[in-house]
Amino acid sequence: MKAYTKKSHVRESANDKIFGFVISLILILFAVITAIPLISEAAVSLSSKTASQMNQINLLPVGFTFDSWKYLFMKGKIWTPFLISVSSTVLGVAIALLLNVLMAYPLSKTEFRPSKYIMLFVVFTMVFAAPKVPYFLTLRSYGLYNNYWVLILPHIMTAYNLIIVRTFFKQFPRELEEAAMIDGCGKFRILLQIVLPASKAVLATVGLFYGVTMWNQYEHPMMFIQNMNLFPLQMKIRTIVDGGGELQAVTMAQTANYTSATLSAAAVVFAILPVLVAYPWIQKYFAKGAMLGSVKG
Amino acid sequence: MKKRYAKKLMSATLASVMVMSMLSGCGSADSKSTEATEQTAEASTDEDIEIWSTNNGYLPVEAGSELYNFYKDIIGVGIVQPYVEWNGGETYLEQLNLRIAAGDMPDMFTPWNGVETELIANGALLDLTDLLPEKAPHLWESIPEDVWDAVKANDPTGQNRIYVIPQVMSYGRNGAMIRKDWLDNLGLDMPTTQEEFVEVLRAFKNDDPNGNGVADEIPTGGRAEARWMGQLFGQYGIAMWEGYPQWDIYDGELTYSAVTKNMRDCLEWMSGLYAEGLLDPETFLNDKAAWDGKINSGVVGIWEHLPQECYNYAENIYNGTGVKPEIAVLPAISAPGYEGYYTMHQMNGGGFVVANTDDEAKIDRIMKVLDAYGNQDLWMKFYNGVEGMHSEVVNGESVRLPDDPSTQQNLVLVPFNQIATIDFQVNVLSSQLTDDRAWAVSQAIENVQENQKYVKSFAGDGMPESITSDYPDIANRTLYIEYATKIITGEYSIDKFDEFVEKWYATGGTEVTEKAREWYAKKAQ
Repeated sequence: MKAYTKKSHVRESANDKIFGFVISLILILFAVITAIPLISEAAVSLSSKTASQMNQINLLPVGFTFDSWKYLFMKGKIWTPFLISVSSTVLGVAIALLLNVLMAYPLSKTEFRPSKYIMLFVVFTMVFAAPKVPYFLTLRSYGLYNNYWVLILPHIMTAYNLIIVRTFFKQFPRELEEAAMIDGCGKFRILLQIVLPASKAVLATVGLFYGVTMWNQYEHPMMFIQNMNLFPLQMKIRTIVDGGGELQAVTMAQTANYTSATLSAAAVVFAILPVLVAYPWIQKYFAKGAMLGSVKG
Repeated sequence: MKKRYAKKLMSATLASVMVMSMLSGCGSADSKSTEATEQTAEASTDEDIEIWSTNNGYLPVEAGSELYNFYKDIIGVGIVQPYVEWNGGETYLEQLNLRIAAGDMPDMFTPWNGVETELIANGALLDLTDLLPEKAPHLWESIPEDVWDAVKANDPTGQNRIYVIPQVMSYGRNGAMIRKDWLDNLGLDMPTTQEEFVEVLRAFKNDDPNGNGVADEIPTGGRAEARWMGQLFGQYGIAMWEGYPQWDIYDGELTYSAVTKNMRDCLEWMSGLYAEGLLDPETFLNDKAAWDGKINSGVVGIWEHLPQECYNYAENIYNGTGVKPEIAVLPAISAPGYEGYYTMHQMNGGGFVVANTDDEAKIDRIMKVLDAYGNQDLWMKFYNGVEGMHSEVVNGESVRLPDDPSTQQNLVLVPFNQIATIDFQVNVLSSQLTDDRAWAVSQAIENVQENQKYVKSFAGDGMPESITSDYPDIANRTLYIEYATKIITGEYSIDKFDEFVEKWYATGGTEVTEKAREWYAKKAQ
């Protein structure tokens, strides 16, 4: 929008203006479409039992109440899974970045001869994935069954992210590194003090990729974790969302002001919030970094 | 340059594919051998019985936990159950398959989607034929003999052995319900013929039976995929279970009810109702929440569901609108030239199967569990579960607490649902005849009994899933849904029905019908 008010140096024709307008309109429309389900879920989570049973809720809460949230926070036992998810994500991203940088840096150097062959192996994993059963048996035999580390170890290295980092390092001006070397820098010091500080964009991008994967992971814990005390948040959420069937037990009257629908809505919103909060902080790196790393990828 | 590079890449890829296929070949061979060794090792050490069954989000049962002790006190055997997400059976099956592949099959589990067929053929499941009468007499007696016969007929090895404890429902659970108070408001009688039925629908639509001055009434309807519309399908004698067409005798032979003349006539009639606005125009968009929401909002006149649960609708309507509704069972209505009924599904697939083992002590423990499972004297105990967790004592009687997956452990043994009898259902309902709920709960008690007058079983009841398992589109009734919904909404004319039948037979229907008739001939022997 700035371009219109600031009078850009190139004069825009009427056509361009209409084009810009239409594009904005379409994008706004998409933004709204994306936001509606979330808003509606939030509305359901803040609605009363009766409203939920009558299926009356659209975009605004009906019969406003915090009861679902109260239940979720006080009785829903979500805090342990929450901590497991946070800790595994933080730890996982840290390990992932460390390993990716340490592997990508040498691979980006032409004087590292085996680089080509190693890259072939890396690309291989992008094309072929292990079938489920052998994969399950292998990880199980490593002791990763009902083990906290299954939330981290399988995710710390993905070929796609590694290639992004490697491509970024490849574009790093050689002259800078050579100058540092002449000044007496060792290889590790070059990486830590010269290359990495200038690579925040790619680190943030790749970190975000890893972070989102680990935060949202569901398949691995589903396959490998049956001990509820080790459930990450997404698995816990599933237990709340997985509604019953047609057949219901005859119980005494339910007095609480929530239903399984409002509870699962609250759980879903709760699980999305951290990502929603973290995203804007990383976004500026994200847009830039994704472009930078992948141009030559 | 570029070309050479491409060539190299290609050969590398090909080589890797070969390596890959070799590796995966080794992998599967390996897993089979571990299966055998691990299984025997597991059996001799484990004292507790691991049982997998449906769990919709409840807590697992770990050794030493309250529910574990509860079962151990009653049965004398420890039962454990990890948390396995059910997710409509999909996630459950996936996890079950992984455990089976790892040679670590649960001791006893609910089979799903025909998973048992191959296991039986491979000798991985325990033959229960002789064990049941001897060591689990209660269970043996609780299930009628003709059901056991049907189970034997389903033995995939053709030896007539029992491997599966069936789920049995000895009464008609599903039926159509009508807002009797609406009939009274309009001074109408309970419809008994199709003509009267349509008149009632018209009156419900036009004459404001709920008296709120707004024409918000939906005479009748159902859910997406033409589910829960037995009030309409039933009028044409169509065997239909919760939207899944069943196999019954039509023109003297076992036939898929979706491809019969009954279905053709019914769809034609329904499309007329739809065009007239007597069916919910959103029928095929309604999920459970949406359709239940409409019923709970007090705007639906006639619907199909479980009469035993109609007190829920009654109470929800009362909470939402302030009107105490009177819900009655709609008598089965016959379309001209047909005999109408509500479908009764007696055999509902497998309840449990047992992993094969040579360990006599373990077999004894499992049979103890199965005997208790079939012992009707214990059912109420199993139903009420752990006092303080699942139930509470009110006036000297145990009453189930409202469902709360976050604090309640999953009830592993639910024979009252899996070998369901109407007496048990009435008993449990009766425990809720409290001052404030009696008006609603008594309707459920009355309706579940009234419904029995109108239900009928069908010939294909108990047909194993393996008959359609090679034809997933037939099992999922994909073609049927497309044509049925489009014909009802008027997008297709009824003439398209013949095209559907032709297509259905052409895409596997012929083979499936043949298999089904073979099965039926064997069962009838």
